[in-house]
Parts: sequence; C-alpha cells; structure tokens
Amino acid sequence: MTVIPEATLSVLPRADGSARYAHAGYTVTASVNGPIEAQRRDEHAFEAHVDVVVRPAAGTGGTRERHLESIIESSLTQLILVKNFPRQLIQIVLQIETTPDNDYVNTKLVQASLNFPIVPSLLQAAVLALISAAVPMRATATASVVAVVSQEGTKRLVVDPSPRDLEQAQSVHVLAFTSHDELLLAESEGDFTVKEWDGVYEAALKICCRPTSTKAGIDVMLDDSEDAAGSDMRQFLRSTVEAKVAADLYWK
Amino acid sequence: MATETERLYVLPGDAIDEPLVPRHKKQPLRLGPGLRHIPPSAIVPTVAGQLVVEPRKNSMWMEYNGGRYVPAQNDLVIGQVQRSAAELYLVNLAAHTASATLPQLAFEGATKKTRPQLAQGALVYARVVLANRHMDAELECVSAATGKAEGLGPLTGGMAFDVSLGLARRLLMARSRDEGGVEVLELLGAEGLAFETAVGRNGRVWVGSDSPKTIVLVGRALRETDEGRLDVEQQRKLVKRLVREMR
Amino acid sequence: MPREAEPSLNEKQFIVQALGEKLRLDGREFDQYRPLELTFGDQYGVANVTLGKTRVLAKVSAEVTVPYVDRPLDGVFTIATELGPMASPAFEVGRPTETEVLLARLLEKTVRRSGALDTESLCLVAGQKCWSVRVDVHVLAHDGNLIDASCFAVVAALRHFRKPDTSIASGQLTVYTPAEREPVPLSWLHSPFCVTWSFFGDDGETALLDATWAEEQVRVSSCTVSLNRHGEICQIAKLGGVPVEAVALLQCTAVALTKAKEFSTFLDGKLAEDAKRRNKGGFMAELSSENDR
Repeated sequence: MTVIPEATLSVLPRADGSARYAHAGYTVTASVNGPIEAQRRDEHAFEAHVDVVVRPAAGTGGTRERHLESIIESSLTQLILVKNFPRQLIQIVLQIETTPDNDYVNTKLVQASLNFPIVPSLLQAAVLALISAAVPMRATATASVVAVVSQEGTKRLVVDPSPRDLEQAQSVHVLAFTSHDELLLAESEGDFTVKEWDGVYEAALKICCRPTSTKAGIDVMLDDSEDAAGSDMRQFLRSTVEAKVAADLYWK
Repeated sequence: MATETERLYVLPGDAIDEPLVPRHKKQPLRLGPGLRHIPPSAIVPTVAGQLVVEPRKNSMWMEYNGGRYVPAQNDLVIGQVQRSAAELYLVNLAAHTASATLPQLAFEGATKKTRPQLAQGALVYARVVLANRHMDAELECVSAATGKAEGLGPLTGGMAFDVSLGLARRLLMARSRDEGGVEVLELLGAEGLAFETAVGRNGRVWVGSDSPKTIVLVGRALRETDEGRLDVEQQRKLVKRLVREMR
Repeated sequence: MPREAEPSLNEKQFIVQALGEKLRLDGREFDQYRPLELTFGDQYGVANVTLGKTRVLAKVSAEVTVPYVDRPLDGVFTIATELGPMASPAFEVGRPTETEVLLARLLEKTVRRSGALDTESLCLVAGQKCWSVRVDVHVLAHDGNLIDASCFAVVAALRHFRKPDTSIASGQLTVYTPAEREPVPLSWLHSPFCVTWSFFGDDGETALLDATWAEEQVRVSSCTVSLNRHGEICQIAKLGGVPVEAVALLQCTAVALTKAKEFSTFLDGKLAEDAKRRNKGGFMAELSSENDR
C-alpha cells in the first residue's frame, strides 16, 4: 500500500490532460477534455458545464458512482473558471483502477456505502489532470479523509484509514481545501460530536494546508502514523506540477 | 531574451509578489495568456507554468505547454472544413469543439462568382479575426489591409501532423531557433529535402512536398522532437539519423 | 450526440498514397506492431496494456453466485467492455457505439466461446453455488487496434488472476479470505490472441498489421484472426468491406500465427517475472504477519 502519494501527469496521449494518482491503496486515472462543444441539454449560456464521470474498476457504475460524481463535480465547479467558457463542456473522466484489498474479507462486487475514502484520490487526480490540461482555475485543491476510530473506550483520529480501520470507524469525514485555505468540501458519515469534527478539521487542515514556507525536509514516514501527521499534500501537489512544467519547458 | 534568473514556476491561484509586476510609467500593463487581473491590483495565474515578465514591454504572461486550443485573435491556424453554409464555411480548429466561421468571400480575389469551392474535410490556413468567449471564432484567409492572401488559403495535398500547442507556438516564433529552441525544420531543409510547411497555432503542422517520403520524414522528425523533448543538438542527431535511414 | 472527429481529406489521401509507396507515417513495416507493453498491478488480475498510444486496462474480479438454471454445472464468465469518454469524447456512457459492440463480440468469441477458461471448474455446488468471473475492459486511450490490445489485456489479466480458495466439508462451503489461504489461479486451458489485419487500396491489396486510429479511418476492410500459439484458430471475422483474395487471407493467417507465438512468449515472460517479484514480497509478508500476532 502506498503511504506516500504518487502521481504522474499527462499519461494519456490523446486526452487534453490526464493524470494517474496513487495513494493509500487507491489508484485513479483521470482524463480531461475541454473546453469542447457541449450538447444542447448540457449547454449553459454563461458558464461551462463541468461533467464528471466516475468509472468503477469492476462492475458497472451505479448510485455509488453517481454520488461520487456529484460530490466531485460541485467541488470542481468552484475551482474551474467556468465563466471563461460559456456554452462549453469540460469533461472529466475518473477511472478507478485499484482499491485497497482487505485481506480479511472477501469483497463483493457491489459495495454499498463507505464511499468517502476514495474521494481524496478522485479529487486529487482530477485537479492534477485539470492542471495538465491547462484548464484555467481559480486555485488548486488538496483533500484528505479522516476517520474517528474508537478503541477500548478511547477515540483516535486515523488519516487515510485502511479498510480495517473503516470497519471499526464511528465516523468518516472527507475534507478538501483550496490553495487559499478555504474549505471546499466537507462530507461526513456516522456518529460524531461537534468537538470531534473540530478535531477532524484541524487534522485535515494540517495535511492539506501546511504552509509552503516550511520546505519539506526529510520526512520520516512512520508505518504506524499514530500522531495522524500524514503527508503534506500541498507540497506534494506543488512539486509534482513544478516537475511537469519544468520538463515541458525544457527549451526555455 | 529574459535574463537567466531563477525560473518562477507558479500554480493556479498563487499570489504573485508585488515587486514582480512591471511598472512602466507610460505603457499600460499587458497581461498574456494564463493570467487574470482581480481588481484592484492583484494578478493571479490561472494555469500552472512559468511566469515570464518583460519589463521593457511592460508585459507578463505564463509559459506552459498542453491543453486544448482556445482561439485567440490574430492566431494563424489550420482549420478543417466541417460543412458549407449559405455564405460561409464552418471550420473546425480542434476535434469536438464548436466550429469557427470562415466567410466564403474572405479569400484573396474572391467574389460572389469566383469563390473557392472547399469540400468537407479540406484544410485551410487562416487567421483568427474575432475570438470572443460568447461567440464562435471568425476566420479569414485574406489580409483585410492589403487584400492579399499572404500565404493563407486552402491547403491542397500534403499531410497535416498533430503537435503539442507548445511546439506549434515555438515553431511560429520569429526566431524559432534562438527563442524556441527548435531547428528541426531548418535542419531538414539543409539536408536538401524540398518541402513547404504551414504551422497552425492550434497544434497542427501541414507539410507539402512532391515526395511522400519527404513528408513522412518531416512528420516523424516533428513528432519525435515533440514527444522526445529534444533540444537543438538532439534534433541535429535525429535529422541525421532519419535522413540516413531514408537513403 | 458528439460526433467522432474525422481526419481531414489531405490526411486521408496522403495515408493511402504513402501506403501505395510502402510508407507508413510512423516508419513501421507493414507487419510490424507498435511497442507492446504490459504491467501488472499490486493486486491479482489487473493488466495494463500499452500498444503505441493505445492503452487498455483489464481487471478481473470473482464472486460466488448461483449458476444459471440451464447450466447447473458451469460457472459464470462474463467480459464487460465499455468505451467511455476517456477514450474519446465521442463515446458516451451507457450508449454503445458500433466500435464498442464489435469489440465486445470479438472478445466474447475469442476468449469465452473458445473455451480458454474452463467454466466447469468454476462450479462449487452443482446447481447452487458457483464462481462468477468477470473481466472489465477499460479503454483509457484509443489510437487504433483496440481489438488486439484488449484481447491481450483480457488474457493477461485472467492468467494473472487468483480467486479465493474454497473447500467443501460435509456439504458446507467455505470461502477462504486471502489472509487465511493463498488464492488460487483459474483453470486455464489455452491463450488465444487476436491479430487484426487492415486492408487498403481499391482491391484491398495492401495489408497492414496494428493500424493506428488514422489508418483505421481510411481502411477499406479489416479482418481479425483469433488463434493460439498452437495455430488453433478460434474465429476469423471479416465484417463486410471490400472483398479480399483468399490467397492473401491465407498469408495473413500464417503471419498471424507467428504474431500469436510472439504474444504468447511475451506474456509467459511477463507472468514469470511478476511471479518472481511476488514471491519475494510474499515471503516478507508472511514474516511480517507472523510478527503481528
């Protein structure tokens, strides 16, 4: 399982932009095409229509995927400068390649509920693909998922929970922040108190919005992230994109 | 060329330090692609790339590669005729995008009786005269000032190759070798190959020649330069290799 | 419905003209494939295939289900092929195009109907319980020759796949989780591969292997031969188009056999490589799980 996120940009030669993102056992490939001509029914007179399609690794898409699509779509519409492209369509396809295995359970093809852990991977892949497609955006975004797990009476926060953690989790929260530290997305599931949510918010903020001035030094990755430190998503996003831009502008 | 200071890579939404914005006394500040102005004075990038500042011209823009072509005024483009309407042709500049319009009279010497007949799928080399987010782009194949084609018009025969938008931009630079680091076409010409080209800002390069072999060779050289991210020295080696293979 | 982009007249004419002079745009020989690459994921049964700029991902999954009433001794085996907008904005979700239908049919005929997978071995309790094996084919990038690439991906993924181990004791079926027992491979009988020829020229006299998307747009006819390394042909499909000389077709089949052998050797090598890599990891994993307890 990958603890440190991995990403490659522009992996699909025929799409306008694409990215492959792997983190915490999830692998997602995203493609972006746009701005392209929208169909009549999707056309909006003053802004671009953002169309998100989530495709599962196995089986046909169902309600679960529609739910994910609506979450991602509403977040991305906030990021993309949709007013720049009236009557056009920006199409984002998110193909789930792998989801983490739970060695202790035989998974069924169709899984009900517990969709949240995959949202950060989907969102991150989509943002990277949008950057690779040079679609004008207001800001970038980073996302994280945090679970509240109660063990022997004490509650602790688990960042990027494994399938086993999720089984024992009381509540699961997915949060995303823009690069301006604005809360972009907050979805929660399960039983939790306001105080717990505040803790979750702080933890997610730490992962997504660590100030960039502190250069990522040698970050020792502990196998057992008890302190829920997680990785520095913003730094990761920046270095990935900068590497791509530098490679693209090799001739400068 | 800008001085070799540290390159400034920025991401969408990053703050640009105030001192970086050029302040010319007389000229207004000119913003190139990838930047937007948020009143009163913030300049914010909208794409990821390198921020380039040209204090002499009081302008700044983003340098990046990738994405889909969005028409901009005065761009030279290679379009594909979609269909013919009453007074104009509908021309496609990129797959799946809304067509641009090309009036049938916007060709050199065209009158109601002698306008060019373009079949569906024909290629034209044109200039964008009107690009507006709320309207379809408008093209012309004749200079409005001189009434001459100036190299624009239907492209017959030959072959069109797809390249990245970045390479198309570099090929169109006045001094493509020094500023854009691309010399592959000149090198091929120096090897004695006879061909002509038309470069469209929308990522298409048309190559015409009597010899199909030459066209294939030019196409491969362009593609390998683009995909392999070759610098001038590597381009030289590539051209040598390709020419040797051909003979 | 967004229309599929079409190459310009100039491109169409030039591709045909160049082929007349024995030239391909990418400088390949007529019977040469683009570089073929295959990578397996961390999980069993995921194959990522790249053929030039064409990319296909195949994923195998299995679950226990009830067998069909008319075939109580057989398991269920399905291949799902869906061309989404990732391959091209012209493909819509849930609205199959002709390309998609033809691709699905050919994979079905090549892999399923040729008995490559022993479906009887998927039966657990006659008439009550069986395995349902499903292959999902995802086309990530479409630059021609989807059929050969997809077929290769499907076969590779199925051969790589491991299903959970089971046992029956006194009529009680137990399905073991991967933590309890190492999963087992499918009962695989032979590996068929598709080799697609595209024909050009007025009488289809020029035959190409592994056509790119642009070449496919101007071909006058095509023919897919599915066969395994032993030269056993599963099917030949030539769906309309310009008639082609029988002798030429025979030649095509002969070349197809050498290609199928190449595919087969390549796949065997990759599977062996992956098994080696896993074995190392498997040993380490055992150690670490030992420590956990």
